[in-house]
Amino acid sequence: MTSRGHESISGTVEPEGSPSFGPAEMMAVVLARLIRDGETVFHGVASPLPMVAILLAKRLHAPNCVYLGIAGGVDPRPERLPASTVGPELLAGTRSLVTLTDLFDLAARGRLDTAFLSGAQIDAGGRINLSVVGDFARPKVRLPGGAGSAALMPSARRTILWRTKHDRRSFVDQLDFVTAAGNVDRVVTPLCVLRSVDGRLEVESIHPQVLSEDLVAATGFRIEAGSETPVTPAPTAQELALLADVDPDGVRRSEFASSSVGGG
Amino acid sequence: MRAKLTSLTDAISAVKDGDVVALGGNTLHRGPCAAVHELVRQGRRGLEVVKTAGAYDVDLLCATGVARAVSAGFVGFETPFGMAPGYRRAVEDGAVEAKEHACYTVIAGLRAAIQGVPFMPVAGMVGSDVLAARGFKSIADPYTGVEVVTAPALIPDVTIIHVQEADAEGNARILGTRFEDVLMAQAARRVVVMAERIVDGAAFEATPETVAIPGFMVAAVVEAPGGAWPCSCAGFYDYDEEYLASYVTASRDADTLARFVEAHVLMPETAGVSG
Repeated sequence: MTSRGHESISGTVEPEGSPSFGPAEMMAVVLARLIRDGETVFHGVASPLPMVAILLAKRLHAPNCVYLGIAGGVDPRPERLPASTVGPELLAGTRSLVTLTDLFDLAARGRLDTAFLSGAQIDAGGRINLSVVGDFARPKVRLPGGAGSAALMPSARRTILWRTKHDRRSFVDQLDFVTAAGNVDRVVTPLCVLRSVDGRLEVESIHPQVLSEDLVAATGFRIEAGSETPVTPAPTAQELALLADVDPDGVRRSEFASSSVGGG
Repeated sequence: MRAKLTSLTDAISAVKDGDVVALGGNTLHRGPCAAVHELVRQGRRGLEVVKTAGAYDVDLLCATGVARAVSAGFVGFETPFGMAPGYRRAVEDGAVEAKEHACYTVIAGLRAAIQGVPFMPVAGMVGSDVLAARGFKSIADPYTGVEVVTAPALIPDVTIIHVQEADAEGNARILGTRFEDVLMAQAARRVVVMAERIVDGAAFEATPETVAIPGFMVAAVVEAPGGAWPCSCAGFYDYDEEYLASYVTASRDADTLARFVEAHVLMPETAGVSG
């Protein structure tokens, strides 16, 4: 990790009089706040944080959002959160099933409101690379591939990206390969929330305890952050209590320890 | 109807070097892993593997020299185990061609095959370098002139799926998520069904709507309890966390992997048996 900023919040933060939270809690809560009540929302493979965020949002402000995923459950109520976000645990409590084909088709006809996707590299245009580092035919690093992202990013009404690493290798000026591009709305990282404005990512808010100079230094493309930049509201006691209830085993933290690249 | 019950060895013997082989399931779930082990044991070569999102199955076929190409949207072990080391090494060394898809272009290609047409229009994809890198072409809608991306038909020579229940004629029930198994079966020239248990087909007559794949589309049926191991099989077992973790560790190095494959895949007394 090259980012001093990330290190500054990689430990547990305990502001005076507030409950404790770390980057996983911060990101899960911020992702949950972005979900709108009543919308259709999708995550794919290798997506623990979106899974937790959707389930949290349903307990907070978005009880009527429709939770969709590759396991095919519609609004599942898992008793145990799986580490694999395609697992049969995500069928518990569902009353109907859809296929992955159904979900791509839903997006294709403009009826998928929000897709959660990620990238090993993300550029200033909110485009992502999940394919290769180096040359496509003979790559230096072969990445897992974009899964659904090339189809979903242009067709879902909006995409929310997340990435548990915020450093200059992840947030780059130039992608090695454009796996997918499209309707990116926000990017959530351990350091900040980026928002797409006229096709370019800008800092919407910087997380508590993160220094703006560290954020700028950890980002490979030009962004502006300073004393005027809004601070992301810290998770509330209610948000953290419900988060602990939704995810008692801490699956939200699994991505921070894994070599896995968040999926689509 | 003709009975098709056969051994795994015989069912896999019908797969030829160079075939396009579609594998059912998704990442850590319900992959036809006993068949994958048998492909390794029989030393098959030059396969093009088709999958929407693969993990152990695709990685092992790449690491053991069985696959020469992978047509897939994603190859990785998800968050629990991370990147797919055998696939990575094979592609980076040039031994395997990564024919990258979006999962939706795999589906579109299968749908073209199912419908007997040469290609399928597919939404999205705009702005992706996958189009140029893989030669996915756009055409003008003949009615409106609007450009649309297309995917060519993807016709598996063989589709192999692992299900929970089948009868001797190949009628196959899938409990829980079907993934792309039904599309893969309809698109293929030949379908091999492995099942946790073989049941009397008369039992399906009360609820034929629960049968995902009609037996007349199936060429061979194999009784394979534990056949998805080390993947999960919904209603029967979870994925084998310990085995997959040790596989991923071993797969990072070619020599270590060769010893791992010798011990766990090539040795007949342990191969394909639920862990």
